[in-house]
Amino acid sequence: MELRKYIGRRLVQVLIIFFVILTVLFLLFRLAPGDPVSRMVDPDMTPEDAQRLKVELGLDKPLGVQYLIYLKNFFTGHFGFSFHYGEPVVKIIWNRLPNTVLLFTTSIILSALVGVFLGKIASWHKGKKTDSILTIGALVTHTLFLPWLALILIWVFSYKFSWFPITGMVSEDVWLDPDSGFIAKSLDVMHHMVLPLFTLFLIHFGAYLLIMRSSMLETLKEDYILTARAKGLEEKVIRDRHAAPNAALPVVTSVGLSLAFSINGGALTETVFTWPGIGRELVFSVSQNDYPLAQASFLLIAAVVLVSNVVVDVLYAYLDPRIRY
Amino acid sequence: MTARERFPLLNSFLEGWSIFKQSLLGRIGLALLILFALMAVCSYIPPWIDPMYNPMTGVDPDITCCTPPSLRHWLGTDFMGRDILSQLLAGARVAFMVGISAAVMSIVLGVAIGMTAGYMGRFIDTLLMRLADMIMVMPTLLVVLILAAIFGQLNIWTIVLIIALFRWPGVSRIIRGQTLSLKQRPFIEAAKVAGASHFRIIFQHIMPNVLPLAFLFMTFRVTAAIITEAALAFLGFGDPGTVSWGMMLQWVWKTGHMFKAPYWLLPPGMCISLITLSFYMLGRAMDEVLDPRLRKEDQTD
Repeated sequence: MELRKYIGRRLVQVLIIFFVILTVLFLLFRLAPGDPVSRMVDPDMTPEDAQRLKVELGLDKPLGVQYLIYLKNFFTGHFGFSFHYGEPVVKIIWNRLPNTVLLFTTSIILSALVGVFLGKIASWHKGKKTDSILTIGALVTHTLFLPWLALILIWVFSYKFSWFPITGMVSEDVWLDPDSGFIAKSLDVMHHMVLPLFTLFLIHFGAYLLIMRSSMLETLKEDYILTARAKGLEEKVIRDRHAAPNAALPVVTSVGLSLAFSINGGALTETVFTWPGIGRELVFSVSQNDYPLAQASFLLIAAVVLVSNVVVDVLYAYLDPRIRY
Repeated sequence: MTARERFPLLNSFLEGWSIFKQSLLGRIGLALLILFALMAVCSYIPPWIDPMYNPMTGVDPDITCCTPPSLRHWLGTDFMGRDILSQLLAGARVAFMVGISAAVMSIVLGVAIGMTAGYMGRFIDTLLMRLADMIMVMPTLLVVLILAAIFGQLNIWTIVLIIALFRWPGVSRIIRGQTLSLKQRPFIEAAKVAGASHFRIIFQHIMPNVLPLAFLFMTFRVTAAIITEAALAFLGFGDPGTVSWGMMLQWVWKTGHMFKAPYWLLPPGMCISLITLSFYMLGRAMDEVLDPRLRKEDQTD
């Protein structure tokens, strides 16, 4: 019950923050030098269409009314039309969202699992060669410049060895072929996903490894570990059953805290691999001066970040019975 | 009296240094940083030797496309015949400029806000910390992108300013915690009784005690700023008037030379990665100097 109340309170907070972001974006856009109409309305539109859109977006009204219309449009899902695609922005965004979620969640889960596992091993061999190799390896991969790493992986694995496709998410010949079933299509997407996933994995697992290692070292000093040793339990059981689950908790928190960093990385990865996701759409739309699309992509990413933070906090409370709200 | 006894600050610095020296990571990090600093200083030499070595405008008259390393161009040239080595050196200067100025600004902001929130408490504390929460979860790179969409091309100092404005919350939270515990100490009580103003207590009595911690955070902020600028430049939204490492990567990528010219692709990315790594190592080593708990843990075995 308490937890439910806590979730409710956090969701209200998220709504308020989101409202602030909406307002700031509105003000910045209207107050920026230049004509807002020309940036919201596609220059290639016919004058009648442009006029209709202008009225729909309220660009001919005073600022206060514009703001109300902006909010109304937002909550009813009217984000305008993308200049580049000539389609409603909402439709494009909904198309891209699953692709981003697929790549992003897989990479976070994979790197957290591997990071926790290797961090456990590093802490167990503290001060020995295994520990040094893992720690230094984690530091080095974590600080690699992501787009550069992506380019090098493409160069080596796609260009030199031709093991993986250079860019994109699907091969047209597989997807346009009516004979290819669900499995063939899934395999095709997985084949395209290997390199972007590996890039994100290499950048992220190191952070989780380092956190798990130091958290594990702290946990091993606890009294209940001493008790477990005194009981004569096997070292492996102490490590895997008694220490590791508790030590892994800070990793959950750090997934939430590093979310902003991961999202930046996700956008860069999508851009380099032309993975059709929201991050790439944001980068692309900004470079094309396609403001309606850029605005909607940004707001969606902001909403996802805010909600994921709540999810991580709730997950933490669920995993750690000592935390009660 | 020896010099060490006369200057307490020097003394604590030397003490810290003797601990820092023992850390292998710290030594490697410092060595790398000195190397990059030398690169930044040397960046003035090539354009002075010959105008064709100017990183932005200097073009070798005999070369029209990118060429591999040679005696005349040690790291080769880019697609316009510009010298890659001089661009790399200029990039080191930009990296330090961006990293350090953004870090200093965000630390000043973070320390001031953290101290104010911790010391004032109540409404101001809640307000500032909610603001911090909100800004903290925002991905800086994407924020700069959307601002670029609104305001058009951003110059390098605007980018630095935005990075600073969005990267203070982490620092301010730590400083706030520290201030909260300092506030309970007798010496603050004494200053209050003596009639010191809030302003004086915050800046005269609390600030000296939180500064070492703030200094530690600066190393991490430097890397964050350098990476953000590099990523922005890589995506094509950097300041077109500066030659940064991110910009060099953008040129390789956009002109499609990444598979043909490894001598052009490898150096800038390696520099960004190594400078990040070196600040990171430095930060970890300084962590050990400032946090005795970590030190003891390492000395037990």
